[in-house]
Amino acid sequence: MRFVATELTDDERALQREVREFLDVELAHGYYEPGLGMASGASKALSRKLGERGWLGMALPREYGGGERSVVERFVVVEELLRRGAPLEHHWTADRQSGPVINRFGSEELKRRFLPLVCRGELTFSIGMSEPDAGSDLASVSCRAVKVDGGYELSGTKIWTSNAHLADYAIVLCRTSDAEDRHAGLSQLIVDLHSPGVTVNPIPFLDGTEDFNEVVFEGVVVPADLLLGAEGQGWAQNTSELSFERAGPERWISPYLVVEHFLREYGDDLGPEAARFLGDSVARWWAIRQVSLTVARMIDEGRSPSVESALGKDLGTQFEQEVMARIQTLVDVEPSLVSSSAFQRLLARAVLVAPSWTVRGGTNEILRSVIARGLR
Amino acid sequence: MTVDRLLLETADRAFTDTCTHAAIQAAERDGWAPAIWDTAAGIGLPWIGVPDAAGGAGGTVSDGVAVLGVAGRHAAPIPLAETGLLAGWLLASARLPIGSGPGTVVPGRAEDDLRLAGGRLHGTAHRVAWARAAERIVALVDDKVVAVVPSAARIEPVANLAGEPRDTVVFDGVAVDEVADAPPGIDGDALLFRGALTRAGLMAGALLAMSELTVEYTSERRQFGQAVGRFQAVQVHLVRCAEEAALVDLAVQVAAREADRGDARFEIASAKLLADDAARVATRAAHQAHGAIGMTQEYALHHLSRRLWAWRAEYGDRTWPERLGRAVIDAGPDALYRVIAEGSASGIRT
Repeated sequence: MRFVATELTDDERALQREVREFLDVELAHGYYEPGLGMASGASKALSRKLGERGWLGMALPREYGGGERSVVERFVVVEELLRRGAPLEHHWTADRQSGPVINRFGSEELKRRFLPLVCRGELTFSIGMSEPDAGSDLASVSCRAVKVDGGYELSGTKIWTSNAHLADYAIVLCRTSDAEDRHAGLSQLIVDLHSPGVTVNPIPFLDGTEDFNEVVFEGVVVPADLLLGAEGQGWAQNTSELSFERAGPERWISPYLVVEHFLREYGDDLGPEAARFLGDSVARWWAIRQVSLTVARMIDEGRSPSVESALGKDLGTQFEQEVMARIQTLVDVEPSLVSSSAFQRLLARAVLVAPSWTVRGGTNEILRSVIARGLR
Repeated sequence: MTVDRLLLETADRAFTDTCTHAAIQAAERDGWAPAIWDTAAGIGLPWIGVPDAAGGAGGTVSDGVAVLGVAGRHAAPIPLAETGLLAGWLLASARLPIGSGPGTVVPGRAEDDLRLAGGRLHGTAHRVAWARAAERIVALVDDKVVAVVPSAARIEPVANLAGEPRDTVVFDGVAVDEVADAPPGIDGDALLFRGALTRAGLMAGALLAMSELTVEYTSERRQFGQAVGRFQAVQVHLVRCAEEAALVDLAVQVAAREADRGDARFEIASAKLLADDAARVATRAAHQAHGAIGMTQEYALHHLSRRLWAWRAEYGDRTWPERLGRAVIDAGPDALYRVIAEGSASGIRT
């Protein structure tokens, strides 16, 4: 497998400058507690401002409030947000997945209803895929939607649903028929999480923070017009939702701030071992970023780089964990969430969340099977 | 900076025809492969990336490095990097004629002690690729680019891990053939980077070929009633190989592109560092996936894996991580992200 080198165009660089200038002001140092990658907290205010700038729903059609901009342009915006640890969880899923999938498969009515809100940063979405008995083997979902007058009645349980306690909607993968082919009977429903019959039970993260939830649907009535795409096409839609965005900056940037603050706090007194760590890390960071940018460019060129994306995610997330493993051998400090040192706070958070990097968005083991099939 | 695809197809055909298993084995035994050289030289491959005006075959550095990738893919046992992108580059930079036969360069290792005295060259140069077969040896000595005819020197044959000639050359007051001042910017450090770029280019090709060979073998080899490549534990090795190859290949493309534009020191150092890492990680995975057959001379894997181990040790080896890290420390935390995103253009002094 080969990647063809690409780089930012002058227009893309101009956008990058614009985003940097905006964030320099908006996220002035000390004004917020930087987070790590996708686990950075939520700020409705920031999301709305990004929406005003046209930096949410960037690739969506203008008639629905989007900017008809490219995947690479979104890459530029997201990269700047992530490397500053900006709080982006309010809009993250809607901007990254739900908006694009509604645009691709949704009816005209669904697009008119949801996309302008996604572009303005006013909606929080969750992903209703995993279930207690369906993790990597997503085709075995058992959440069931039965046709009733005017729509569907949804019953079942989703789990590991990030941000469901804050979200307005979830796109839920569920069974709408008992087809012989277990991929065939699946559909996607857009479910209002404030509907009667929805219960969101927090599952505290290992450090006690809130992110994960169990979402229980008990006879939840979902109007027929909230069926996303065609009935029975849920599997294909879901797969496309997963495949393309896998190699984005969020897959390799997570420990960036830990390293930046390491350099900030220890930069005057670093020995050869720390220098080698920085050399190895920065070289690999630079190259993995090139891979990620190349995948974005391929999508803009109308190709379907699902194997390349999987490869980018595997490379990026393994690298992230390697950075965390090595940096802890260089300084004799106890990571602490309440330290006065920003490095130690970020280190503590990163140590706690690092295992999730190779799990979320498809475990690396499953991705490797995807890649291996693609290599043949 | 788009690489000429027709050129690469031509190079691939030439090496497919000439770099057979037997021919590579013979080259290792004999220390020279005249038929492979003649074919490559006949279509100008050794001088791609050296300007027309200087007597080269034209094309960009990216073209030259891409040709090295094709050569690395076929384990071509000839001084392709040395003749054009190294010796040819030094000679052209000093406005000296580049010649038409195989050329080589003195890498300039710490243990060398070359000096000029009264127009004659003294001292010993180590690890000179194919010195025994070259028509001229080019060296940087006392801020001068110097070319000598090997027959005037004493050559002690030495080989690297892959059996490629890396000779020791003793110059005992040898009359120099050509000499000129090295222009500003052409010095031992510039040669180190240029050499690293050529090695990374060769390694990218070898890594891609190794990945493909491993996928092919594990899809044919059957155990427990199925192709071994269907076992997830084996797939981990296939993926590791493919990832490292793809990463190095892309890094090399960007490094060569930047070399065509100007300062590419960060990109070259990074590409060589990653290629050196891959030489450890990907060869281990490829050999593990192959099992015993990979350890034999009759099977082609060693043509690639031994070259990767040998090339890893050339032009910098493990000096790169610390050197790059020092540059990152000097650039400071406020520049860190720009370094990752923009490389040499960030202003980092690698």
